[in-house]
Amino acid sequence: MTNDRTLGISALVIAALMTAYGYGLDAPFAYEPVGPKAFPLITAGIIAVCGLILTIRGGGVVPPAGSGVNRALLALAGCLLAYALLFQPLGFIVSTTLLMMPIAMIFGARWWQGLLTGAVLAISSFLLFDRALAVVLPAGVLGGLF
Amino acid sequence: MDTLSHLATGFGVALSPVNLLLAGLGSIVGTMVGVLPGLGPINAVAMLVPVVFALGLPPESSLILMAAIYIGSEYGGRISAILLNVPGEASAVMTALEGYPLARQGQAGVALSLSAWTSFVGSAVATVGIVLAAPILARWALAFGPIEYVALMIFAFACLTGLLTEQPVKAMLAIMLGLGISTIGIDPNSGVYRYTFGSPNLVDGVQFATVVIGLFAISELLIMLEGMRGGAAVRIEQLGRALFNRAEWKFTALSSLRGAVVGFFVGILPGAGGTVASALAYTTEKRVVERQDPEGSRFGRGDMRGLASVEAANNSASNSNFIPMLTLGIPSSGTTAIMLGVLTLYNLTPGPALFNAQPALVWGLIASLFIGNVMLLAINIPLVGMFARMLSVPAWILVPFIVVVSAIGVYSGKSTTFDLVLMVAIGIAAYLLRRVGVPMAPLILGLVLGKILEQSLRRSLSLSGGEVGILWSSPIAIVLWTMAAAVLLLPILLPRLRQWTRRNAIEAD
Repeated sequence: MTNDRTLGISALVIAALMTAYGYGLDAPFAYEPVGPKAFPLITAGIIAVCGLILTIRGGGVVPPAGSGVNRALLALAGCLLAYALLFQPLGFIVSTTLLMMPIAMIFGARWWQGLLTGAVLAISSFLLFDRALAVVLPAGVLGGLF
Repeated sequence: MDTLSHLATGFGVALSPVNLLLAGLGSIVGTMVGVLPGLGPINAVAMLVPVVFALGLPPESSLILMAAIYIGSEYGGRISAILLNVPGEASAVMTALEGYPLARQGQAGVALSLSAWTSFVGSAVATVGIVLAAPILARWALAFGPIEYVALMIFAFACLTGLLTEQPVKAMLAIMLGLGISTIGIDPNSGVYRYTFGSPNLVDGVQFATVVIGLFAISELLIMLEGMRGGAAVRIEQLGRALFNRAEWKFTALSSLRGAVVGFFVGILPGAGGTVASALAYTTEKRVVERQDPEGSRFGRGDMRGLASVEAANNSASNSNFIPMLTLGIPSSGTTAIMLGVLTLYNLTPGPALFNAQPALVWGLIASLFIGNVMLLAINIPLVGMFARMLSVPAWILVPFIVVVSAIGVYSGKSTTFDLVLMVAIGIAAYLLRRVGVPMAPLILGLVLGKILEQSLRRSLSLSGGEVGILWSSPIAIVLWTMAAAVLLLPILLPRLRQWTRRNAIEAD
């Protein structure tokens, strides 16, 4: 399966989902000739047409990345997701220090460089945003300390 | 002179201490952002969206800051292109073609200062052009009702898909995905919840900052990681003589003016930005030089005229990009689309009404372009060495920094884990889309224009009681629909037409 074909099939799936969830959208009282579902359904229709063209035409082969690259990409995606999930419960300073270390290491840092980057970033941006600019960041497990 | 008094008001706004400070800050940050590979203007402006709100900046100050970063990054993009042959962003690809060979010949300093100067020439020509053209276009745009708006947006989408990308189907798909995202949330006309899946987090739509940061900043990190593995070692050339001389200035003066004019007109087209402008200027300049001076042409081996015209063109285009954005509410690049999105966050409706109702905002921005460009020239010639040194900042510091600023930005909007997870999910999806060649700028244009397009469409059809023919019932609309059709069909028809005439010519022989 070529990459354009994968993209085309994904587009068809998205169009199908948009239609399935959009078809039942009806306004209880209609004040205007065009209701809330027309625009999403037209959009879904054009997505489906694009998907069909891509599926039929195929082509667009992207050279596969080496397995080392794929593993690094997965690790980075995992770290980002973990950061998003732990940001609030653990608090900004702890989650940042904890997760920026592996992210820095994926990009070639030694462990102590990663730890230093994480800790410095965590503390300095907490002071800058939370204290100086009044953007409230979660205190999390360190809640009592500040 | 109406325009002059407006411009005076604008300078009054732009010269206030806060705005002057923001323009200066934006110029420096913009140049840095342009230098660093993997951190283009669009990422920087995206990450700023929540920050300007957190700072409580008024709309004109936010726009001035973002505009300074945007034009600053065009100045910065050339530095890594010339020194490393690594374009800091897409519009600097052409800069590398002539700039890097010059650097290899020990003329890096001359190439850098000359390109800073021609960048300035391009910007100056374009800002004067904005002052002259924008009020005329804005007055003309007042005749636009919902019907004309629908046609205008279709024309903008046609430009994006037909003229400017190699993969029209993928660009169209990107626009439609953007339109689809714009429908999420409560429908303002009927109160129906669309695609919220029962989640209270989606009732008022997906946060703009979450989508933009996911699409650009997060996906860029994955692209950077992919590019870094198997990347070559970095070697920075010696700078050599720092300033260009009088002879070089004269040698390139006409080229930079030509580039500036090409860039200005390309920049006005919806969907075309610095990348198209620099490519067009480069090919034009090459053709002109090869005709006038076939012996002296050193294109591809370090011709200063090529460098001059490219840099003038992409800076000119990034300035004239503001014309359609301010007068019609149609952004012509991803970055101006984000700025337009920011305007709507301030409850300002972009379009001709904005141009007339908010002179302080519009003319303040235009005046700040003048000021920003002078500042950029002033910091770029003496400080080029400092910016060049930024190229040695390791990725393992840069990437965590981008992640943290992105997360803070997204979290500051609604303070939910939902938005953070959505940001990462959108980032991964955007990375996969980019891997298979789906461009991101049309997607953001679709997202920003989606609500206005849907409202215009529904209002038009309300006027006619549901009869679709009203969409091409006015002369302006007919012209726009015809132009849209021409833009979409010409690339398909032109080669066939040429073949057909050639065959006829042969038969006539």
